[in-house]
Amino acid sequence: MDAAQHVHEVLRQSFGVDAQAVSADTALHQLRLDSLALEEFRFIIEERMAIDLEDAHITSRDTVAHLVNVVGARAGS
Amino acid sequence: MTAPRPARFDAAVTGVGMVTAAGADAARSWEAVVNGGVPAGVGPHPALEGLPCDFAYVADADVRGKLGVAECRLMDRFAQLAVVAAREAVASAGLDSGLWEGSRVGVVIGNAHGGLPFYDEQHASLRRTGRVSPKTGLLTPVTGATESVTRDLNASGPSFAVATACASGTHAIGAAHQLLRSGQCDIVITGGAEAAVGRLLVASACQLKALSTRRDDPASASRPFDADRDGFVFGEGAGILVLERPEHARARGAAVLAQVSGYGAATDPEATVAPAADGAALERALRTALADAGVSGPDVDHVNAHGTSTPANDLVESEVLARVCGEGPLITSSKAMVGHTLGAAGGIETALTVLALRDQTVPPTANLSSLDPNVRGHVVGKDARPARLECAVKTAMGFGGFAAALVLTQA
Repeated sequence: MDAAQHVHEVLRQSFGVDAQAVSADTALHQLRLDSLALEEFRFIIEERMAIDLEDAHITSRDTVAHLVNVVGARAGS
Repeated sequence: MTAPRPARFDAAVTGVGMVTAAGADAARSWEAVVNGGVPAGVGPHPALEGLPCDFAYVADADVRGKLGVAECRLMDRFAQLAVVAAREAVASAGLDSGLWEGSRVGVVIGNAHGGLPFYDEQHASLRRTGRVSPKTGLLTPVTGATESVTRDLNASGPSFAVATACASGTHAIGAAHQLLRSGQCDIVITGGAEAAVGRLLVASACQLKALSTRRDDPASASRPFDADRDGFVFGEGAGILVLERPEHARARGAAVLAQVSGYGAATDPEATVAPAADGAALERALRTALADAGVSGPDVDHVNAHGTSTPANDLVESEVLARVCGEGPLITSSKAMVGHTLGAAGGIETALTVLALRDQTVPPTANLSSLDPNVRGHVVGKDARPARLECAVKTAMGFGGFAAALVLTQA
């Protein structure tokens, strides 16, 4: 499973968001992913993929594509 | 000093919603409670394995299916149950939260233990990984049910949670009655919600010897007023009422199921766990509620008792009821069917009392096979009893010495 699949699965299972049904350019806040949701997301994805996103900068104005890229970069490093 | 007594105020009950171990909605819960028989929603609970009381009543509700993942993530289970019951109550009242004037709608929901399951889960996470969810402070306070319902129903009037242990739901409805009487709201969504069945709390209650240990037959363990009762059994659920100012209900032509006509509360400062032997606080709460409604004890036709099935509660309570109301009222306890739902009990059992007045039927006290000879008054056993019911009472007591009573009248 690659980073995108992990991200999509967490968004679906834990946040009720089908990120694959929207454009990768969709801003996270448009999917009702606010700062609390993103903090929770970070917590879940770090556990799940055994990665560290502590100093990664993600805001609700970022896009789904950006989220996947950030997670992918950490998972690959 | 005696304060002047305000005129009686009849808050109209125009909707009820329930999620209980007896049924996933109000109609199914009421039907199961009226038909009595063997409680279906109780059994061994995986989290309680090995405890002297290893069983509990679990609410029958497809919460995730009804609310969706996105909504559920901002609530612990007690709040989810409250939202499901509140939606049902509002729909059954013929109201639409998309159309009402939200600033005139209040939410007052009782709860005792907050998000105990989420606390447990996050505590385990902290120990295991050193980290906790950022939602812990949001999901766990007793305000969770009230806050979730205000968000779900666009209710922006005065809202707060009420916490008086096992009397929380009853106190909450009393507080809602006061909000309407003072004119601060036209509508109040009120009742109780609880989902605290977990190892921490149950193990502690076992040590208090407050729980039934009838592990060989959980369905017969909760037996209020029965000679063989040996303690209460935990339950979870939510019971929500829509209360309205009578003019507001009349103006929109709403069907009124029953009325909340009186409320009283009192406290036994010394009765931390067991009720005071003389039931002084319950008696004062009940007398205050009756006076608030302008009725006297012998006017009471029906009591939905706190009736927890502990040896002490049921005796003290029946003594108070006999002293204040005589032995005329038809008494029932619903706890053998829904469990002791702690902060939700007053919400669920007041909703059941509303339906008793609507249908002119007193539900049976399930599992009552041999009435404790020391219990006074007329406890309805086995079968539901059709009767002329104009005035009913709901009583409640909680750890900490809290007592509350409501008087409900036929619409």
